[in-house]
Amino acid sequence: MALLEVDDLRTYFKTRAGEVHAVDNVSFKLEERKTLGIVGESGCGKSVTALSIMGLVQTPGRVVSGSVRFNGRELTTLKRRQMEDIRGMEIGMIFQDPMTSLNPTLTIGTQLTETLSRHLDLSRKEARKRAVELLEEVHIPNASRRLDDYPHRYSGGMRQRVMIAMAISCNPKLLIADEPTTALDVTVQAGVLDLLEELREEHAMAMIMITHNMGVVAETADDIAVMYAGQIVEEATAQDLFDRPEHPYTEALLGALPKLDEPDARNGRLASIPGRPPDLLSPPNACRFAPRCKYAGSDDCTTVPPELREIRPGHWVRSAHPASERVREPVGVS
Amino acid sequence: MAIDERLAAERAGKERNASFELAMEATAEGRAPGDAGAALARASLWRDALQRFRGNRAAVISAIAFLALLAFVILVPWLSHEDPYAVNFAEAYQPPSWAHPFGTDEFGRDLFVRVALGGRVSIAIGFAATFAIMGVGITYGSISGFIGGKLDNALMRFLDALYGLPYLPFAILTLAIFGTVNFWTMVVALTIASWFTTARVMRGQIITLKENDYVRAAHAVGARWYRVLFRHLLPNTLGVIIIFVFLELPGVVLGEAFLSFIGLGINPPKASWGTLAQDGYSAYQTHPYLIVIPSLMIAWLILSAFFVADGLRDALDPRAREY
Repeated sequence: MALLEVDDLRTYFKTRAGEVHAVDNVSFKLEERKTLGIVGESGCGKSVTALSIMGLVQTPGRVVSGSVRFNGRELTTLKRRQMEDIRGMEIGMIFQDPMTSLNPTLTIGTQLTETLSRHLDLSRKEARKRAVELLEEVHIPNASRRLDDYPHRYSGGMRQRVMIAMAISCNPKLLIADEPTTALDVTVQAGVLDLLEELREEHAMAMIMITHNMGVVAETADDIAVMYAGQIVEEATAQDLFDRPEHPYTEALLGALPKLDEPDARNGRLASIPGRPPDLLSPPNACRFAPRCKYAGSDDCTTVPPELREIRPGHWVRSAHPASERVREPVGVS
Repeated sequence: MAIDERLAAERAGKERNASFELAMEATAEGRAPGDAGAALARASLWRDALQRFRGNRAAVISAIAFLALLAFVILVPWLSHEDPYAVNFAEAYQPPSWAHPFGTDEFGRDLFVRVALGGRVSIAIGFAATFAIMGVGITYGSISGFIGGKLDNALMRFLDALYGLPYLPFAILTLAIFGTVNFWTMVVALTIASWFTTARVMRGQIITLKENDYVRAAHAVGARWYRVLFRHLLPNTLGVIIIFVFLELPGVVLGEAFLSFIGLGINPPKASWGTLAQDGYSAYQTHPYLIVIPSLMIAWLILSAFFVADGLRDALDPRAREY
């Protein structure tokens, strides 16, 4: 049995204009010690998926239906207090912006020890000792002295390390990293990714890595799910996805990566995907990528929503025109 | 400089709270909790604020003026040999002189001591009512903002209705219902219709802070609601609360003076600045100093408190300053 099984998860936000279908029919499985990368553009529902798993979706948002089974337990029906016990203890989470994720009025040590004593039965002294160990584990130099510092004395990268330390402090089985490197300098990003991989290995955790950076998932993920407009449109092993992308959207995403080794790299324009994602207030009852898809033609893909299907073992795709089934040339080449 | 000491004391008090646990552990490990480097690091949020406050000349001067006024009302009755209550008609209506710097009233009582004593009453009522306003406003506002949703809506609509209550008539009504005027009834009367703004501002603060990433992060590590409220939300509103204390104080003191002036003040022979001004009013044509001096005192307190509030706002929330 998988560690985490998400089945037909739907999270909607009630707004004055109507219901926004932020996450619509998302399902995936995550085995122990594996890393799942979730990629997609801004607003495609990556973060809301993570928050839904954690039970942290705030009003006006609501998990409308679907199930989240973690370690054999159904999370969506748990009482608030039970869910609070799981958060931080069995599932840790790291947020995007480390600059604002620490309370500026409390020392690093206070924030770490409070997390520890929240879930574990530790004396003050033990909690402090453990906090120092945690800071050392995330490679903060002079850990015992830095413990009494306020967050403003830490750099962005160090704060993210502290957030990581906090997330893994109770040895969770699952770590959800929501764009952990997006707000960091490029030079710091690699270090944080290496650290996450190292800790995942050491603590035998499973990890969900949410990002819009293809490079990040390529390095860290075992499996990759590509999300578009609230749905998973393609899921496969990292190797297979990068080598043989099936969904036109995934192809376009990979095509949009600048290639430095091409002769014309410095002069040519960057490739982009024409059009915009659909309005999630009233998502079209069809393939959601169809309006931007260069393979969408006169067939029924603009009227019938495609199902996620296994095009070959372990490779799932939600499109009427996966690359390996394509016969005709694109209708309108951009 | 006195102001430095006061702010430093304030800062130290706040730090004591924040670092209480760590200090405990520090001593347990045999390390001095007041380790200079650590203290410096810990202080910097407030140190920055102090630096900005110092750069604001109007604020510094009014802070000194405010403290001087406090010193005046505390020290003068203590050091003076004059009996503030002894009637001596031989010395009635004496203009200011060396023996009586503020002159004497119709009963020959020394006004210097009486103004200082009256100041004690006015300022004590002012602070007590301000803290009562803060207490009610903060509680109401944070419940409303923290719980949110339908309750928030209901509490705020109720507050909108209360906003219709006029402050002074309502205070008069309250005193009339109590039937007696003493320190505590005065505090209640001044509080009852003046905590609405504080509640609204607190609600706004809590709602803004709730959206902060560190609050989400706290939820993500399983923090219970009371931890989120008392550890992450309320301490971060401290700056606003301090500013509001100095903004509310003048209004409350003025309200007390007004009530005293229309005859709803504390009973003689005790006096506040308001009742002193009222006493002086009966003879203001022949002895204007009797009304001028208490009025100047009230003005002094109000102006200095306002400028201190202004300076504190700039110091504690530099982003809010207009450029």
